[in-house]
Amino acid sequence: MTHGSAVRTWSPAAQPEWTVAVVTPSAPDAAAAFQEMDDAALVAATVSGRRDAFDVIVERHRRVVYQVCYRFVSNHEDASDLSQEAFVRAWRGLKNFKGRSALSTWLYRIAVNVCLNRVSAKTPPTEPIESTEPFEDTRIESAQRTLLREERAAAVRRAIAGLPKKQRATLILRTYHDMSHQQIADILGSSVGAVKANFFHALANLKKILGREP
Amino acid sequence: MNHLTSDELIDAMEGMLDATRQQHLDACEACRRELAELSSVLREARALNVPEPSPLYWQHFSERVRTAVDAEALPSGGWPRWLRWPALVPLAAMALVVIALMVSAPTPVDPPAAVAAVDANPGDVALAADSWVMVADLVGDMDWDTASAAGLVVEPGDAEWAVLELSANEQQELTRLLRAELLRAKS
Repeated sequence: MTHGSAVRTWSPAAQPEWTVAVVTPSAPDAAAAFQEMDDAALVAATVSGRRDAFDVIVERHRRVVYQVCYRFVSNHEDASDLSQEAFVRAWRGLKNFKGRSALSTWLYRIAVNVCLNRVSAKTPPTEPIESTEPFEDTRIESAQRTLLREERAAAVRRAIAGLPKKQRATLILRTYHDMSHQQIADILGSSVGAVKANFFHALANLKKILGREP
Repeated sequence: MNHLTSDELIDAMEGMLDATRQQHLDACEACRRELAELSSVLREARALNVPEPSPLYWQHFSERVRTAVDAEALPSGGWPRWLRWPALVPLAAMALVVIALMVSAPTPVDPPAAVAAVDANPGDVALAADSWVMVADLVGDMDWDTASAAGLVVEPGDAEWAVLELSANEQQELTRLLRAELLRAKS
């Protein structure tokens, strides 16, 4: 089965010798074309009514958005719901996206805002340790040592979950997404100085909390 | 010399500390200890992984987003959200109730000046009657299921939701109309 282009021919009466071919890409062609487009072109296509262009935006950025959300809530179900909400909000707001920042930065901002609005100050539930840690060969590392390491990782997760929202957001974006202080400031709507201060206080608080852990 | 500030400690962790402050850091035991402790915490935090969902999950996720987005209007053009059907229906219902109250309530002998401004005149009465006829024509043969499917049924909470969607000015105007109507009903 081929997915060729549908060709419509048009011969104007005034110029019978002309034949103008209007090429309308078929659906698979359009999907392939969208995959080749950069983010700006996908945004333009979506706003002009190409719903399937937004699918490509989702496909391109879903993993990073999910990771940001997961860092906030530490469990798959909530991270999945928050990611979905972030994309729905992006869809609603896409016509207002002016392209002053990269689409990815804009999506980060939406995801962080969704998380900050949803995440309560209390420690969110986390998944069992074994489902979030990479598999380790316990033949090499003793079971006891593995257990201690996993307990410590869980303690670090709890400590991060207990940080004030802005500190947590700053730590997540800086530590796991390698964003510059300026990018974080843009996303959180604050200054570079405030971002640095939040980053420092996040680490200092973690140090204090983890210092109390057994 | 002063110890490193919090900003400078962050700069030092990221290798951006300026040379003169680096000299202080090299010579200051307290600052080096503080830096080492913060760096250690950062390393621990960095070591936490996010489990990678399966490829099937991503496909399912995209479908969920598509379904959720399909329930929304296109991002370009269209009426504002508060003017779309689900909001417009309860608003229209509320407006009809207000008009009906204006038409059916007895006209006070001496209405207060504030109320007089919104009092019904013969033109309003004719307009309201025409509106009722139009609504009756439109929905007269419609059964409940059809009306539900068309989004013409007011659900519990729709009116509250619609009011919350109004702008501050629109809410103010609605409040004014309702107050005027209550005043008139009392008198």
